[in-house]
Amino acid sequence: MGCLPGETPNQTVWVSPFPPVSTYSYVYDLQDQPAGAERTARRRDDRRRVVAMSTADDGDTLPGIPNVGKADLDAMVENERPDPRDELADVEADTDLGVEMAEDAQRVARGELSGDEYWEKHDEAAAAEFGEAYRETPNPAVDAGDQTVSTETAESLSCAVGSMDTVSTESAQVEGDGPEGGIGAGDQKWGMVIDLQKCVGCDSCTVACKSENRTPPGVSYNVVMEEEHGEFPNVTRTNVPRPCMQCDNPPCVQVCPVSATYKMDDGVVNIDYDRCIGCRYCNIACPYGARYFDFGENYDDEVDEAGEITSPEYGVDRGPREEGKSPIGNIRKCSFCTHRLERGEEPACVETCVGDARNMGDLENPDSDVAKMADSSRAFQLKEDEGTDPNVYYLK
Amino acid sequence: MATQSSHIEFDPGFEDDRLRAAWYAVVAVLVAVGAYATYLRLTGGMASTNLTSIVPWGAWVAFYIYFVGLSAGAFLVSTMANVFEVEGMHRIDRDALFAAVISMAVALLFVWIDLGRMDRMYFPFLWRQLTSALSWEVHAYVAYIGILVTELYFSMRIDLARVADRTSGLRKRFYAALALGRLDTSEASQAFDRRWLKRAGVLGIPLAIFMVHGGTGVLFAVSKARPYWNSGLFPVIFVISALLSGTALVMVIYVLRTRLFDGESVDPDLLDRLAQLLIGFIVIDAALTAIETFIAIASVHPHEIETWQVIMYGPMSWSFWWFMIGFSWVFPMVLLSKKSWRRTPAVMVLAGLSVVVGIVAVRFNIVVPAQVMPVMEGLPHGSYFPTLVEWGTSVGMIGVGLLLYTLGAETLPLTPLTGGDHE
Repeated sequence: MGCLPGETPNQTVWVSPFPPVSTYSYVYDLQDQPAGAERTARRRDDRRRVVAMSTADDGDTLPGIPNVGKADLDAMVENERPDPRDELADVEADTDLGVEMAEDAQRVARGELSGDEYWEKHDEAAAAEFGEAYRETPNPAVDAGDQTVSTETAESLSCAVGSMDTVSTESAQVEGDGPEGGIGAGDQKWGMVIDLQKCVGCDSCTVACKSENRTPPGVSYNVVMEEEHGEFPNVTRTNVPRPCMQCDNPPCVQVCPVSATYKMDDGVVNIDYDRCIGCRYCNIACPYGARYFDFGENYDDEVDEAGEITSPEYGVDRGPREEGKSPIGNIRKCSFCTHRLERGEEPACVETCVGDARNMGDLENPDSDVAKMADSSRAFQLKEDEGTDPNVYYLK
Repeated sequence: MATQSSHIEFDPGFEDDRLRAAWYAVVAVLVAVGAYATYLRLTGGMASTNLTSIVPWGAWVAFYIYFVGLSAGAFLVSTMANVFEVEGMHRIDRDALFAAVISMAVALLFVWIDLGRMDRMYFPFLWRQLTSALSWEVHAYVAYIGILVTELYFSMRIDLARVADRTSGLRKRFYAALALGRLDTSEASQAFDRRWLKRAGVLGIPLAIFMVHGGTGVLFAVSKARPYWNSGLFPVIFVISALLSGTALVMVIYVLRTRLFDGESVDPDLLDRLAQLLIGFIVIDAALTAIETFIAIASVHPHEIETWQVIMYGPMSWSFWWFMIGFSWVFPMVLLSKKSWRRTPAVMVLAGLSVVVGIVAVRFNIVVPAQVMPVMEGLPHGSYFPTLVEWGTSVGMIGVGLLLYTLGAETLPLTPLTGGDHE
């Protein structure tokens, strides 16, 4: 159920104006996204949760932030909201059904209708309308923590249960990865190409990475190495962004005594935080300095409750950051934002790059942009003579 | 075994009770300091160290390889008695083996406290990685400790049986248990013990050289990212400096324990033999290190050159010149140069202690400088000096080693009851 016709989990349609941290991705009202009425219901559920959260925080008057009245914001949204019928007229699906479901979804959001009743009322019609795709596509709306649909109903609708992150990640695995599934089991071989002529050295990638992966002080999966050459006035400067190279022959994997770090099928080098003993041998072995030890420090002085939100790295949601709990005491590094790749999104650094210098794609697909760029005469890898064969290429 | 011929006297432990009290007081202070520092380490996590992601290995790793070296060296000295049957060396057989066991235990304590997740210390026995030197090492250490304990048992069993025979009550049961119930003191049983002692030693030699200490050298040498370590000679030097420190340790222990525990005079011939061994190891160690340095500098590889510049002229260069060159090579060499000094216990204790302390600096100069240079131009340089917590925990773990050794020396027949050589 919960099935969005024609939408495969790899084509992510929602966008967020906020830093790409999954939990914040639904803060604004998405009810008018033109992709079917059901999404309205889903978003409604989530929006309600978020609103509840923000009132609990009593964040109306934060120091230094202008207090824009909620009513004003609602009016602005209402003003911007297109007419549902106009929108739905562009879609193949039945407009009446869409509007009806959307209105009921709003009732669910207001608490006038239960989630179970909602699906009892609409499931059959929606199934008839959307056909097979309806049953095949999982619905991440059913949130395990705060779900609006009972588990029984969810099961009767053969619906996936879990948080948005887990459901989206799992669905990606179920859909695309053949019999084995699991994180990183994709058919692609992920590669990154960074065009040094386009890099302006703004460090946005580093910031986006820290914000996406919620890395603690002293841990920065991406850095921009700045090299200055020559003497005044003949000076040149090169900025070399350095994520994890996701080497084909990774020295880190070679040295790990417990096989806690390993190559995944999609080429990304994984770290199993539940197995890593924190010996830091990989940290020593990495020729690119791309591995960082998590000493357990926090940004608590800078941000209240900085550790409350963590990133579902490698597709595992570990909840709030706590002392003595992994990844504290483990080695960490760039994962090409595996959790985003699995949702069909680009890594945060690629998405944010102001000069469009960073590119992500499938190196094994000869038609892909990255494969072409990696083949060009401008392409090179860092420390090629190490024999590590990185999957990050640079264009000089 | 001090006096009369056939009568076997067993009275281990300090001769002087005041000295005993003073020694235990010192050890207690070390252990107490270590306990408090360990408390800070456990509550503060790895943030209580001065380690960073740029210099992820520090004092604990340096002490770990130091004690592995001490152990391997002491063990190899013991094989001179029980495998190669060098004349007059049986006197120090058990001393060397027992010191090797204790050193290895201390080494593993250092590995343990260095783990980011100390609670997962047993994981390397659940999951492995064939290409990881560290994975192999962990298993080699366990096998090696097994060999050491086996050897110590076969070396000491007959005397444990003799002591059990002469005592009664709880003490008798204690020694009988240590002898694993084999209380036969016949010639045949002794021959059996010697045979198995030799077999275990034969197995232990390659294990100690190639796996335990050579392997620990390999652990560093395979790091291609660190040219300073990445050399074929590196594991060899590791073994030689292990022999150097192990021989020095055995020499110090032999003199001190004979004087302070047995109340006997030191055998000058045995002392001279150990001293000459020490000279040989110092020469080989210095020569191989010189070759290694020359190859590194002749390569003109910027990383190598700069690392050596850090070692020789950097802020920690005092540890290179004073401790590594001075205490582990030059100073002991001077003391060992004269035959009459080599036969003087006090001078040899000084020479031995000098080496034992100097090799600590050798280990620090192996671990730290290679991490000061960034692996890529554009990344930050590292800098490292241990925190008080790191020093305190290290002192504490060394204190635990001293405590275990003293307790053993006070209860076990480490000196053969029938005197020096195998009758």
